[in-house]
Amino acid sequence: MIHITINGKVVECKDGEMLLSVIRRERIDVPTLCHHEAVEPSGACRLCTVEVTKPEWDGWCDYVTSCLYPAKDGLIVNTHAPKVNELRKSILDMYLARHPKSLKIKQLAADYGVLATSLETVVDGNNCILCTICTRICDHMGFSAISTVGRGHGKEVAPPLDMAPADCVGCLACAKNCPTDYIEYETGNGRLKIWNKEFEMVACTVCGKTTVTKEFAEHLSQQRDIPFEYFEKCDECHRKELSATMGKIANWEREVRS
Amino acid sequence: MKHDMTKLDSIFDKYPKSQESLIAVLQDIQKEFQYLPCEALEKASEILDVPLSKVFSVSTFYNAFSLTPKGDKVIRICVGTACHIRGAKLLQDQFESLLKIKAGETTKDMKFTIEVVSCVGACAMAPVVAVNDKYHGSVKVSKVKKMIKA
Ligand code: FES
Ligand code: FES
Repeated sequence: MIHITINGKVVECKDGEMLLSVIRRERIDVPTLCHHEAVEPSGACRLCTVEVTKPEWDGWCDYVTSCLYPAKDGLIVNTHAPKVNELRKSILDMYLARHPKSLKIKQLAADYGVLATSLETVVDGNNCILCTICTRICDHMGFSAISTVGRGHGKEVAPPLDMAPADCVGCLACAKNCPTDYIEYETGNGRLKIWNKEFEMVACTVCGKTTVTKEFAEHLSQQRDIPFEYFEKCDECHRKELSATMGKIANWEREVRS
Repeated sequence: MKHDMTKLDSIFDKYPKSQESLIAVLQDIQKEFQYLPCEALEKASEILDVPLSKVFSVSTFYNAFSLTPKGDKVIRICVGTACHIRGAKLLQDQFESLLKIKAGETTKDMKFTIEVVSCVGACAMAPVVAVNDKYHGSVKVSKVKKMIKA
């Protein structure tokens, strides 16, 4: 264990632990858009930037992305130094110009007092900030169905060859974790459509509500040893069943005791 | 378009069948066919055991790779800063009007493709035009016709 100072407070952490994880543990609010606990950090959004220094640095400070900066003993961190706030403001200013329609971006920017961008707005800008949480999560799930395509201005997230991705099972991990809700999908009539691919959903045998896609249920039952039947019941019916069982056990215990 | 798949096989035979070979394999395919056919990408994904999405990501990242067929002669006009100042735009106009296509396009007879690139690293010879692997320096508008004929 080592000690670092965050905003004046000395805290204990593991050597080499990423600063952001210590900051979060201390419940300090640092904005992030590209961070997700489940996947490797990528340093794409730059919002988690903090000021770091050490006594022996002679007053010199560095500005680093805390999600990618390993803690070292004696480090002094300031998460809201004036310059850090300025940096975040200018980053948000750029986001606002490029993704004018994103509510999440608007909200974040407003939190930092940026109400309108000082730059030229990209009129047809979409809500994808290229944080790559979706592609990293898709890799992590073991599907790698989507990835970034192209580079520079034209870079985007897309399935290969711009066709419905063969490797996608419709798990929705990408869409559900997109910080700006950019990834769209449709559900209805027992079907799901995402990335232009259509899936049939498994329905709850008790109440008829849909659970997950057939492909995803099959994948989980084959790779994770969860019986396929598990997905043929929705969360609510699982819970009902569980509470019925608990009731039976309670009754039985009462009978045994009496 | 049908491709000589035996040629593909011989490319794959040259390299270890792992993800490290991906770029080398794609380079060879690009060289052989002047572009990366879909089937080749799918095959690369299968043989090298790399997800198709990653193969696609790599093939769209590098400018050296192209996903659409190119003409026999690929004319790359440098429009980098130095070449721009020394009249690259005039050269581009001349190529475009003589071949009746725009940059990024290929003639119907599949003979020529025009591309613009940003700095090929030969600024001292600006303006630079590369025809396939041959680099021409200090190109003048009056020389363009000859370059197409040659
Ligand atoms: S969280 Fe996005 S750069 Fe650190
Ligand atoms: S700008 Fe054309 S070679 Fe550098």
